[in-house]
Amino acid sequence: MNNDIISLTVNGKDFREKKIQGKKGQTVLEVFRDNGIPVPTLCHHPKMPPYGGCRLCIVEIENMRGLPPSCTTPATDGMVISTHTERLARVRKTVLELLVAYGDHNCLFCEMNGNCELQNLVYEHGVNTIRFKTDFVPRPKDESNPMIIRDQNKCVLCGRCVRACQNVQVNGVIDVAARGSNSFITTFNNTPLMDSNCVSCGECVQSCPVGALTEKKANGLGRAWETEKVRTTCTYCGVGCQQWLHVKDGRITKVTGVEDGAPNKGRLCVKGRFGYEFIYSEDRLKTPIIKENGGFREASWDEALDLVASKFKEIIAKHGPDAVAGTSSSRSINEDSYQMQKLFRTAFGTNNIDNCARVCHAPTVAGLAKSFGSGAMTNSFSDFAKAKMILVIGCNATEAHPVAGTYLKNAVANGAEMIVADPRRIELADLAALHVPLKVGSDIAFLNAIMNVLINENLYDKEYVASCTDGFEALKAKVMEYPPEKVADIVGVSAEMIRDVARRMASVKPALLVYTLGITEHTCGMNNVMSCANVQMLLGNVGFEGGGVNPIRGQNNVQGACDMGALPNLFPGYQRVDDPKAQEKFKAAWKVKSLPDKPGIMLPEMLEGCATGKIKAFYIFGENLANTEPDIKHVEHCLESAEFLVCQDNFPTETTRFADVIFPAAAWSEDNGTFASSERRVSRVRTVSKAPGIAKPNWWIFRELARRFGQVWESDSGKDLWDNEISVLSPPFAGIKYSRIEEDGLQWPCPTETHPGTPIMHKDGKFTCGRGQFQAIDWTPPAEVPDKEYPFVLCTGRRLYHYHTRTQTGRCEGLNVLLGEETVDMSPQDAKKLNIEHGEFVRVRSRRGEVKVKAKVTDKMQEGNVWMAFHFREGCANWLTNPVFDLVTKTAEYKACAVQVEKIV
Amino acid sequence: MEPAIRLQPGKGRQVLICRGTGCESQKANLIFASLEKEMDKAGLNGSVELKFTGCHGLCQMGPTIMVMPAGTFYCNVTPDDVSEIVEMDLVKGERVERLLFLDPKTKDRVLDYRDMNFFKPQRRIVLRNCGFINPEAIDDYLAAGGYEGIKKALKMTQQEVIDEMKRSGLRGRGGGGFPTGMKWEFANRSVADQKYIICNADEGDPGAFMDRAVLEGDPHSVLEGMMIGGYTIGATKAYVYVRAEYPMAYERTVLAIDQARERGFLGKNIFGSNFDFDIKVKLGAGAFVCGEETALMGSIEGKRGMPMPRPPFPAVKGLFGKPTNINNVETFANIPVILTRGGDWFAEVGTEKSKGTKVFALAGKITNSGLVEIPMGTPLRTIVEDIGGGIPNKRKFKAAQTGGPSGGCLPFNHYDVPMDYENLTALGAIMGSGRLIITDENTCMVDMAKFFLTFTQKESCGKCVPCRLGTKNMLEILTDIANGKGTMAQLAQLTELAEDVKAGSLCGLGQTAPNPALSTVRHFREEYEAHILRHECPARVCVRLLKFEVNADKCTKCGTCYKACPAEAITWRKKEVATIDKEKCIACRSCILACRFHAID
Amino acid sequence: MREKLQEVFARHHGSRDALIPVLQEIQGVFGYLPPEAMDAAARFCRISPVEVYGVATFYAQFKFDPVGRNTIMVCQGTACHVMGGARILEEVMNQLKVQPSQTTEDGRFTLETVACIGACALAPAMFVNKDTHGRMKPEKIAEILNGAGN
Repeated sequence: MNNDIISLTVNGKDFREKKIQGKKGQTVLEVFRDNGIPVPTLCHHPKMPPYGGCRLCIVEIENMRGLPPSCTTPATDGMVISTHTERLARVRKTVLELLVAYGDHNCLFCEMNGNCELQNLVYEHGVNTIRFKTDFVPRPKDESNPMIIRDQNKCVLCGRCVRACQNVQVNGVIDVAARGSNSFITTFNNTPLMDSNCVSCGECVQSCPVGALTEKKANGLGRAWETEKVRTTCTYCGVGCQQWLHVKDGRITKVTGVEDGAPNKGRLCVKGRFGYEFIYSEDRLKTPIIKENGGFREASWDEALDLVASKFKEIIAKHGPDAVAGTSSSRSINEDSYQMQKLFRTAFGTNNIDNCARVCHAPTVAGLAKSFGSGAMTNSFSDFAKAKMILVIGCNATEAHPVAGTYLKNAVANGAEMIVADPRRIELADLAALHVPLKVGSDIAFLNAIMNVLINENLYDKEYVASCTDGFEALKAKVMEYPPEKVADIVGVSAEMIRDVARRMASVKPALLVYTLGITEHTCGMNNVMSCANVQMLLGNVGFEGGGVNPIRGQNNVQGACDMGALPNLFPGYQRVDDPKAQEKFKAAWKVKSLPDKPGIMLPEMLEGCATGKIKAFYIFGENLANTEPDIKHVEHCLESAEFLVCQDNFPTETTRFADVIFPAAAWSEDNGTFASSERRVSRVRTVSKAPGIAKPNWWIFRELARRFGQVWESDSGKDLWDNEISVLSPPFAGIKYSRIEEDGLQWPCPTETHPGTPIMHKDGKFTCGRGQFQAIDWTPPAEVPDKEYPFVLCTGRRLYHYHTRTQTGRCEGLNVLLGEETVDMSPQDAKKLNIEHGEFVRVRSRRGEVKVKAKVTDKMQEGNVWMAFHFREGCANWLTNPVFDLVTKTAEYKACAVQVEKIV
Repeated sequence: MEPAIRLQPGKGRQVLICRGTGCESQKANLIFASLEKEMDKAGLNGSVELKFTGCHGLCQMGPTIMVMPAGTFYCNVTPDDVSEIVEMDLVKGERVERLLFLDPKTKDRVLDYRDMNFFKPQRRIVLRNCGFINPEAIDDYLAAGGYEGIKKALKMTQQEVIDEMKRSGLRGRGGGGFPTGMKWEFANRSVADQKYIICNADEGDPGAFMDRAVLEGDPHSVLEGMMIGGYTIGATKAYVYVRAEYPMAYERTVLAIDQARERGFLGKNIFGSNFDFDIKVKLGAGAFVCGEETALMGSIEGKRGMPMPRPPFPAVKGLFGKPTNINNVETFANIPVILTRGGDWFAEVGTEKSKGTKVFALAGKITNSGLVEIPMGTPLRTIVEDIGGGIPNKRKFKAAQTGGPSGGCLPFNHYDVPMDYENLTALGAIMGSGRLIITDENTCMVDMAKFFLTFTQKESCGKCVPCRLGTKNMLEILTDIANGKGTMAQLAQLTELAEDVKAGSLCGLGQTAPNPALSTVRHFREEYEAHILRHECPARVCVRLLKFEVNADKCTKCGTCYKACPAEAITWRKKEVATIDKEKCIACRSCILACRFHAID
Repeated sequence: MREKLQEVFARHHGSRDALIPVLQEIQGVFGYLPPEAMDAAARFCRISPVEVYGVATFYAQFKFDPVGRNTIMVCQGTACHVMGGARILEEVMNQLKVQPSQTTEDGRFTLETVACIGACALAPAMFVNKDTHGRMKPEKIAEILNGAGN
């Protein structure tokens, strides 16, 4: 029989004797929970290490002294356990009475009323008087943080918040201080939360069983029994966190993580948890708008739609279908992107459709497709925590993908070794065994040198290379040109360090590689991506749990926008537009006689086309190009030059200023649909309330336009679109249906309706394209390098508290308090040289423009580099960035341009 | 008292001066320096050996000097006495009569320490070397037969050592009384790449100082015990966790380890075997709860000293997650002798279930306070009356408090109880690590319980609710009672709560913290009732219940109270009853303590 | 401060189990634990600063404010309690006009209590820096305090 199964007897002595089974290695409590045996708990949380402090889950076990807590006691075969004896009841009741006596537990005044574990336990245990008279003295609340209220008077010291902060999110902000009855939860040096290193992720709030930690914004908006919970997917980054939206009267009162949901297991970041109320902003676009006489006026849907249809028809008739172009939104649901590309291909007759993957991960999509046969993250987020060796390159996960970052931190806590290659000493570098402060744009030289060492020192996986890959000889010849000594100057670190990285990487198998935009946003972005793929194939790390090449996508649905074919060369499901078979299939499905079979142009070419006159009509769906594209001045010139510009959005933006027609669209939580996350997981997004005014779902707007081109589209909801069209037409999603993703989503490829989805691609080195393809690649420097006049390298990226151009996060209470303005981050050495003090205003100038921002002097920066984000219009890095692009995929070199910095006297 | 050991025969006369914490604080260092000088002056350097030692136990009489082999025992020596001792005793061979121990009962001077009632009933196994060897000289320990136990163990199999330990019947001296042989067997059975031995020298019970004395007086015996333990369970690394308040014990342990390492007794292939072993010393940082073994391990790991629920037991998952065996200092000090003399020899000492000896730290209202080592089963009366010399000031024995904040009390009607694990537990007191506080009629049992709860409450780690808040509430109840504000309902609540705290707490601290309260309520209920019902403190300790008025009927007009008052609040003229000015009175109780006629209420 | 901390760190291996010894040595150097030093210790031991704070506040030994030039410790252990330790403490508090854990205004004395120092046979006991004074009586206090360093 199975040796791992153990049998236990519960409540044998009392009534209702029960024989239950568990697995070896489980605690008594875990076995109870699996078998539905009720035992009260307070300090226990299934995702945290057991604590054993509250003494409520105590039981009596035959042949064991005392009253062991079931949460920490290992279950063993043959145990005879009593869960509800008189003695246990008495101790539990005393514990509860003591907790109530030494606190301020007035449920009438408490936000957690109805959702409080202590309240429930007190009720269940029939506590109706408190015997104990106490000298409890209340302490003041800490309301310093804009998101979180701490009320220690309600704290029961269960330690769940501490474990949430230290073990789950690994932020290390709070701990228990002092001891005995003086114990309290503290920040470092007992400062108010706002003055601590708290990142306001709110994991502590979510884990608090009582009202000691509550969401400030939710206070007074509704209690547990007044709200319903709607499950959805987060609207921010590409991790795809699962959320509960707590809704009262159609309004979100607060957001919590879905504890057992993949991929986040209840975790959220500050934006995901607290960045929801932008949808209620007064700024929302509520009606269609038409530009007239230099001004804007409201219009009806018919008028606006008719205008756009007629204008597009006119331009197509005059200049041909390729004179129109559009970019889809990576923020909106899959069904919207599907609908938009369908509109462009069937109604307009052009493949000039793209999405903002162009500005971030187009090199990934193309590069990994070339190396592996599929352009997506190979593994799953849950793999991060399981990895034993991790190379993080060009990825500041704790700010840009905070929940993914938590898994990397978990891995280190679990004993994994992490190597962080990044020009900045980012937070992950503090946890890393090794931080490689490589120079901006030196990645290929660095990776080639690593491979040089791996081959020369015989550390690579010969068997894997021989049986799973092609092109090794060419790769070998190429990397032989990159011995560590030769590239040390390019990379800016010693040859020894490069060797160290190589040896460490080879010492554990498999090793996991994570990258983000530090790899892709270069003129050599696609080559960078393929270099990462080379390293991982050489080490035989692709196709295994805890291994793989893992790009984390930037936007919530940038994976989906690509999946849906909002790309100039691909139909939905990565089927080439120039493939005759695909042509036939889509013509039949979409009931059209012809479809354009020549790949269209990409986003930068579209913008440029507006200026050159090649593009006459430009349709921008959910993008704020005027802030996100490099060289804002030039971008605005392009937008201005477009003959006819349509914007479809939730808010007026810097971009909509140039529009001829603006369509008001439903936002996140105002429509049903799906997002696809970085780990290729298709998850549901759900409606909480209707869009404001007469704003409409995006797919509806596209359908109405198509109707004006004579197309009759039957699908009338996200579900119709997905179940009847998208999954039917796209083999990788064929097995995904709404009915299957009511809870956790499914990871594509999922070819059939019984397929469980694919957490790990290219399993065991069996690549989508057959054999993995090594690419011999040369290093090329960034297009613009520092010189005398512009002596600094400017690198750009995202910061924790805001998202992109702040159209959403800028309209959420508190986030602007946590981060209110842009800074230019620079090293203390450079600041000293320029006589610049921390917090002082400086001018940053490039060949394209200049901004005035405050200096943030931090030792996380290396000398010669400065760093900025693009969240704030004022001080947006894109006034400075260089509009040069990856040759193949046209992603801009956001990560490197030359600037000068001067003190403003 | 069994003469310690082979006292370096052939070396002739020795002068032994105690330099343990007790004597050192009474200027033993100056006496030692003075002895060196005077002996040099007298030309005795070649013929008489001067040696400083650890504590021999009679701290009350410190600083002490012992002249061997005669066994002359000089008490309360001051630096001024040195020249006389040298001249009279060492040069002329005559005893300095006035410095000899005065028997409190017979009022005779005792010539040889072996005839002192303090030492006679003792049987020294743990303290065999304390007071006789120089703790800072490894050769002294070797000359006393040191490191023979480990040598013998290394020639045995691990199982043979375990069997020997089981035969000895040795039980853990830290308080729990768990059989050491069984504990070692568990750790021995765990399979792991690394195991640890820890010596718990975090002697935190207020009133206990035997572990300090052993480390100060004979550190090598502890190291040797650890080595034997390490060999037996298969551990190669070890820690001694010494509490921060014991600087001298720490220093001497570190020194002993250095010396042992220098000789190759620690390190690789010790004593020519293939057994590797090394020991590090960790200094505690002031937390009583770190005496609890899981908290102690957390503290070594650099964490808050919060206990972990068991199972898993340290023998399975201990320090750094590896199998670990923890014993306390006294337990380890027993082990070398068990090896050299055999488990059977050891088992002959003591009672049926409690083998060997126990060291008690005798303190409180007792004439001879200090460390005593007696065979298990010695009656309490023997300890108090013979060894301890009785209660001073002709006062009456009220109770003995054992086990400190975890223990309880033995009232007069159990004066003849044989002291062993079983008897003490049955009476609601516990052996604990061996604190023995003697109280007299001037000790208030409510105050005593309150004192212990103040301590445990302050030392509770705060992790589990019953201990964190339960002990706090118990203390609040006791405070109410001591202040005369208590009710009989609260008294009932106190015992109820105490039972729940005992049952519900996570670790030994909380599980035993209610004992002092439970035990005093059990044996001295009438005292509680006096506080509650009559607002009276019979022992005149609880200040809020005292009137600070002179009872003219009892007053003998002696004026003692007048002299004792530090606040000049008492008026007294010869042959007149004293009066107390309540405005000036600071309620310090000096007068009450001073008055031998209980004339102040 | 940086140099002094580096000297301390140089004697240890940078891992969590070094934390308490490192803090003890830092306190040995500065007399207390300055926040910057705790922060540096956190980096050195590769844990978060708040964990250092949590550990430091757990143990009675650590201080978070500068201490006086002399530390007076009055034992409040059982034996000392029975022998009148509370009176000794009261008298010291009277004379120095501070509560336990406080420092006199002139910075000369910090008063501490200790649970038990193990000098029970000398009860009641008090300590001035490293010197033990056993069998204390209230009237001996003034002289002992006068004898302490300035």
